Amino acid sequence: MASDRPVREAENRLERFNTDRERLLAEVERRVVARVVASSKPGTDQSLEYVLNDVAFNEIRRLEASKSKNGALDRWRDLSRRLLAMSEAEKESELRELVRFYGKDVVGNFDPRVYKFATGIGPSILGALFSPMTSFKEGLAALGNLDARIQPDGEIDLARACAERGTLIVTPTHSSNMDSPAIGFGLLRAHLPPTTYGAGKNLFTNPFISFFMRNLGAYRVDRRLRFELYKDVLKEYSTVLLEHGYHSLFFPGGTRNRSNIIEKHLKLGLLGTSVTAYKNLVREGMPNKRLYIVPATINYRLVLEAETLIDDYLAETGKSRFIITDDEFSRVGRMVEFFRKILAHEGSVIVRFGRPYDPFGNDITDDGESIDRAGRIVDPASFVRGANGEVSDDDQRDAEYTRALGRRLAGVYPRLTVFHSTHLLARVIYDELCRRGHTRDIYKLLRLAQGECTVPVADAIAGVDRLRARIAATPAYGAEHPGYVQQSSQDKVADAVKGLSTFHTRTIVERTGDNLRVGDIKLLYYYQNRTAHIPEEGHA
Amino acid sequence: MSRADTVGIVGAGRFGTALGSVLARAGRRVLIWSRDADVVRAIESERACPRLPEAPLPAPLDATGDPKRLATEARLLVMAVSSTNVRDRARELGEHLDGSHIVVHAVGALSSPNNSPRSSASADSLHFGRVSEVLQEGLPTLKIGVIAGPALPADLVLGEYSSMVVASAFDEVVAESRRLLNAPPVLRVYGSKDLAGVELASALVGAYTVALGLCDGLGMGIGPRAVLITRAVAEASRLGAAGGAQPRTFAGLAGLGNLLVRATERSADYQLGRRLAEGIVTADNQRTEGARAAIAGAELAKQLRVRTPVLTGVAAVLAGKAEPRDTASLLGDSVATEE
Repeated sequence: MASDRPVREAENRLERFNTDRERLLAEVERRVVARVVASSKPGTDQSLEYVLNDVAFNEIRRLEASKSKNGALDRWRDLSRRLLAMSEAEKESELRELVRFYGKDVVGNFDPRVYKFATGIGPSILGALFSPMTSFKEGLAALGNLDARIQPDGEIDLARACAERGTLIVTPTHSSNMDSPAIGFGLLRAHLPPTTYGAGKNLFTNPFISFFMRNLGAYRVDRRLRFELYKDVLKEYSTVLLEHGYHSLFFPGGTRNRSNIIEKHLKLGLLGTSVTAYKNLVREGMPNKRLYIVPATINYRLVLEAETLIDDYLAETGKSRFIITDDEFSRVGRMVEFFRKILAHEGSVIVRFGRPYDPFGNDITDDGESIDRAGRIVDPASFVRGANGEVSDDDQRDAEYTRALGRRLAGVYPRLTVFHSTHLLARVIYDELCRRGHTRDIYKLLRLAQGECTVPVADAIAGVDRLRARIAATPAYGAEHPGYVQQSSQDKVADAVKGLSTFHTRTIVERTGDNLRVGDIKLLYYYQNRTAHIPEEGHA
Repeated sequence: MSRADTVGIVGAGRFGTALGSVLARAGRRVLIWSRDADVVRAIESERACPRLPEAPLPAPLDATGDPKRLATEARLLVMAVSSTNVRDRARELGEHLDGSHIVVHAVGALSSPNNSPRSSASADSLHFGRVSEVLQEGLPTLKIGVIAGPALPADLVLGEYSSMVVASAFDEVVAESRRLLNAPPVLRVYGSKDLAGVELASALVGAYTVALGLCDGLGMGIGPRAVLITRAVAEASRLGAAGGAQPRTFAGLAGLGNLLVRATERSADYQLGRRLAEGIVTADNQRTEGARAAIAGAELAKQLRVRTPVLTGVAAVLAGKAEPRDTASLLGDSVATEE
């Protein structure tokens, strides 16, 4: 089914999104309200009173802790006060209002004009926007082909065919807030349809990115809202989108990967909506409207927010900092640097797509049919059917299916990883520091590395050579950047040094005579972490 | 009776037949699949299975040689075959199953970690050639569980009180197994979520049965015997915990309960232990489930860096690397200072 023909039905279903929006929201409202009301038991944790109070309590607590209250507190205090005197009908009415309120907060928008702009002349103009006026020509030259710096590869033909047959759920690794535009352009360049996706509400604070996200189908996920009703609305919205055939994108790792180690433990919340959506389609007599989960990795030569992320990862207190709002992404100057320096490098971002799975973690054939581990075609609808063929509801079963899918994704990510020169050199130097320090523990290394750390260039080249050979011999480790497989290890080291010494505010590695000097072990660790699944030399 | 209320049993061996007998006597519809046409014929015409002739097989129980019929008429299937046949039967049966089937195996065995089919596929679960992993490779359904415990075929046939535990990651597997396999007072089925623990406990029991046979064969008293049982449960718990299982599972029906009933002359593993004590070492030594489990378990312990003196000792004796008489190491861990 490999083909370079244009995507037909799958081509940009988001164009009909604005027409559908009210209908989708109404469906979300109807389902969530019906479910909550049906499961409510007065006097228990499932009573309407409890659900409403949970919302009010969490909103009050959140607003009291925030700097800008804007009078919003009154609304929730008022709800809290009125709750006790409310009749069941009034509670249901309040519930309906809240579901609508959060639904509208979540829902996205798709403006075809913005899409055309962003995917057509957009990159050039966007480049100009991001370039300081004093270096307009330089910026335009570097960014004129912004999207050309993002190279998609892997199982693109199969993903395209799946997009024609069913609905895609793209599930990439997550390193940076640049991932959304990066995968957006990756999909575009792969002639795959655009997807809708949930983006943290904090991302909408960047005015440039916010403009595009708002108008290209992104819906807002407010991670500060942790009460069940909000999660219900969010999940139902995702479910309804999938049922209506909107290609979607989830980052199963949840937030950005702080350490840069390929994600092993996935957060499966929204991913689980794929099982629910498919179950609903089967129940509605449409088992052949298939859903396909497409694993993908986004591989940057350099990561915009590396400094903040690794500091956050290593800081003892940082582990609880779930939402970072003051990183490089929020500083326009750093983003300009990112576009000018990082994306000016040919193929600086590789988006690699893997073979899709069905929602139960089964492989699929080239024709999009689900197959079991023995390679036999299996009917995916049977996974949600009971003994007599009826569609059965079982949240625990569905969660287990999603865990199985998550295991498949976590298992395939290393294989889909693409190594840039920066990763390879960082790994080789880090291995050398570990050998000298007799430990791989970053904290111990940070304590040990008081003096100057240098590695002879010749040793680094030899180490990169050996690492490349090991990677080439073991596809499960991932692969080198396809555009630079023929590059000599000497050139690769030089290229890596250029990257690791120029962009970040802290020099990671620089050349001093015949040696490479390590300037920042934390960042070295961050970049080498991309290879963390590759065992040490001699320990395979 | 509907498909939902029918129990399919794969294999007409002693346990499968005994289980079928108990369930049929409790009024449950049972369909046994055997590849042996003579066995199918005997069950259908004589209402008796040649492998357990004393088991009454009343009418709600049928036999078939057709796996398609089994898959069509029963949603819950109990895989009661020997470990050496699991892979082949799963592949054969897998041709006819789909994602809605529930498969629970009763195979207390373990293969070498190196032979584990998907040893690198999962990051968060224990992989050491568990039977459920083999089934996952051969079957389309993900709803897989294990049933284990001190329910001997002879006891089931005689109507003695027996209990087993069924474990699965899927609540539905546990609930359906309990609904259809529970036949009190003869057979009570308890539930657990610790699939890996129950499988490991059930398999290691074979290895420890060999150790008990060895202990008895050497004429050691009831004191050392009690120490051996206790240390066996302790080390199995450590091994399981290191691999992500629940330690208390090993003190339950699949572990301690199973061990207490296996150490009799009826058990091939126990007989092997006694033969070893007499100095009879042959190539057949490694052919019992317990012997295979001892070797695989010792290898697993090495990988997980867990001290398992009993398993390691049995494996060494089986491999001819230690004298059967020199079994003091089986009785405890000279390094450990706390229980």
